[in-house]
Amino acid sequence: MATPIEKIKTKRAEALNRIISKGYLSTKRVYVGMATCEIAAGSKEVMAVFKENINNGLTDVYLSQKGCAGRCNLEPTVEVIEEGKIPVKYGKVTPDMAKEIIEKHLKKGEIIDEWVIK
Amino acid sequence: MKKRNVRAEKTITFCNGPGCMHLESTKIIDALKQELQKRDLSYKDVKITISGCLGMCEQGPIVIVNPGYIIYGKVKLSDVSQIVEEHIIKNKPVVRLTIEQNHLYNRFFRVFGDIDFFGKQMRIALRNCGIIDPENIDDYLSVRGYEALAKVLTDLTPEQVIEQIKISGLRGRGGAGFPTGLKWEFTRKAAGDVKYVICNADEGDPGAFMDRSAIEGDPHSVIEGIIIGGYAIGATEGKVYIRAEYPLAIKRLEKAIKDAREHGFLGKNILGTDFSFDIEIRLGAGAFVCGEETALIHSIEGSRGMPRPRPPFPSVSGLFGKPTLINNVETWTNIPVIILDGAKWFSSIGTEKSKGTKVFAVAGKIKNTGLVEVPMGTTLREIVYDIGGGIPNGKKFKAIQTGGPSGGCLPEAYLDVPVDYESLSKAGSIMGSGGMIVIDEDSCMVNIARFFLEFTQNESCGKCTPCREGTKRMLEILTRIVEGKGQSGDIEKLERLGETIKKASLCGLGQSAPNPVLSTIKNFRHEYEEHINDKKCTAGECQALLSYTISDKCIGCTACKKVCPVNAITGQVKNKHIIDQQKCIKCGQCVQACKFDAIVKG
Ligand SMILES: Cc1cc2nc3c(=O)[nH]c(=O)nc-3n(C[C@H](O)[C@H](O)[C@H](O)COP(=O)(O)O)c2cc1C
Repeated sequence: MATPIEKIKTKRAEALNRIISKGYLSTKRVYVGMATCEIAAGSKEVMAVFKENINNGLTDVYLSQKGCAGRCNLEPTVEVIEEGKIPVKYGKVTPDMAKEIIEKHLKKGEIIDEWVIK
Repeated sequence: MKKRNVRAEKTITFCNGPGCMHLESTKIIDALKQELQKRDLSYKDVKITISGCLGMCEQGPIVIVNPGYIIYGKVKLSDVSQIVEEHIIKNKPVVRLTIEQNHLYNRFFRVFGDIDFFGKQMRIALRNCGIIDPENIDDYLSVRGYEALAKVLTDLTPEQVIEQIKISGLRGRGGAGFPTGLKWEFTRKAAGDVKYVICNADEGDPGAFMDRSAIEGDPHSVIEGIIIGGYAIGATEGKVYIRAEYPLAIKRLEKAIKDAREHGFLGKNILGTDFSFDIEIRLGAGAFVCGEETALIHSIEGSRGMPRPRPPFPSVSGLFGKPTLINNVETWTNIPVIILDGAKWFSSIGTEKSKGTKVFAVAGKIKNTGLVEVPMGTTLREIVYDIGGGIPNGKKFKAIQTGGPSGGCLPEAYLDVPVDYESLSKAGSIMGSGGMIVIDEDSCMVNIARFFLEFTQNESCGKCTPCREGTKRMLEILTRIVEGKGQSGDIEKLERLGETIKKASLCGLGQSAPNPVLSTIKNFRHEYEEHINDKKCTAGECQALLSYTISDKCIGCTACKKVCPVNAITGQVKNKHIIDQQKCIKCGQCVQACKFDAIVKG
């Protein structure tokens, strides 16, 4: 019988497959902070903007929630992660900013430098 | 190349751990800067950052290039030009220098490492917070989730697990800092047919929120730790005691427990072995004292949440009289790391007696507020200035309060104290659960002490007299001092009462409640004296001790007169106005109304 270690390796492989089948390897991964603190700062509304755009045809984006990284006074935070590039971290994101991130960064690859946490 | 606060295409990170810096790191940084300049690469192309210790000292000096998080070890001065030429310019990592370091915390730095605030930290307990979806067990599995549990069940006996925890040097993160491995051993060895494991997620310290953050951001790490604890002591049931005020954390924990059950990490015959274990959530009503372990146990049993004298300790007689292992959330999240990254490695981080990292919730008068996880031994100064970014608005640092309502206030002279259990208590404060409040010159230390004492007095359960009556009397004295009615001898009374309460109280709540007062008296006695003798509050926070007067800058615009709610200001148009000190209620509205800075607060 398989040992627990062997079992966990299988489970991990399966989990990775499931994540990938959800589009993890898309060109851009977007993570929206959704802890209590982030939500209090308005991240639910930001998340809604991304969801709406994906429902309306925005492609090549893998959207996920995440917990809080601990940068309280810059919440809500949104990360855009692309293979081979340094992840871009946006701070104090509003729904309007989210729309612009979609238009410029996600669609055209233009990073909006002034909003980036450095 | 000095420029900070830019986003560059690549970052090169140098480990600032004592190991690496003793080696050639500083020279290598200089050489790198020259090399970059020579090739016309600017700070927009490459950003150089300095990290905290990365726990790879044996392979130092360490240099990390991002994106990709390529780690170079034992880097020599002569390697610099090759790294720049091949990796930075041609995007080809220098294979001969790369080292394999698959630490669990690496992932966090792949995402956040280039930001100074995060780059100087070391994320062990909060390694996954902010980088995975807490509600998706697949995300956790993909970052080697539950592998520590599997390893323990495959390779280690319970005694061997306990041995690993002992070697790691891990101590409780809930406040008291008791060696975790020893506690596990006591509970394992205690006689009893049934044993329990408890995760203390009560988190009652005002200002501390790392436990909430850990559960909301990475609930499976906590669960995995608890299961391993259950295996080690021989328990089949675990409880998470969490305050009902944390609804999202509870929701995520519930989901995580359910998912873990479905995957066979909880329940009968875990991962096909004959070990069975399950976890139940118990909600607390949010009383500070219920975080104290014996009160917490009473609360789970359905009794009133009041502490009892120890011994017997819970490890011998805990929940329903059975041997019970109780650890804090942050303590639990460290367990999988110790198992996978190694107990020896874990014990290489930190100081002689305090191993690993500690999470602090940094707040108050500081630029970057947030959760900061640093190796034990990092100084307060590094936390406040290097990570926290210093005091905003050009104000002066006055004190740092650590340990919440049970801790103390340390003045500037203590900024170089390393954070570890012993050093902080020697300095007159405590590590506590990791609250950290930065105080600037605008805050009154007497008022701060009063704030914390008001909290503990409110939260005192009333069981023992020293705490119940003593904190009340102390609060009365502090209140009269800030109201300008302090009497000579009050400071001595506070000291005497405080010492007595510390010695005579039943539980940690009373034993530590006087700390904020005693430490501020010790370090800021002059502020108490000033309040009592001169009826003055230099920080300008104690309303009752303020007086507002109008200076010659007044042009008689009548703006102040109009806003004064008690008509205390008189004067003709274009003539200097006067405030009637008898009538003035010190609300400060006139100061805001005056456009000429003519009203002096003193
Ligand atoms: C008044 C009081 C409040 C406490 N609150 C907490 C708490 O909120 N969370 C916690 O983990 N420990 C708290 N403790 C410490 C616990 O009694 C206990 O030492 C701890 O849960 C043990 O876990 P550890 O060894 O992992 O730190 C509190 C202690 C006292 C005296």
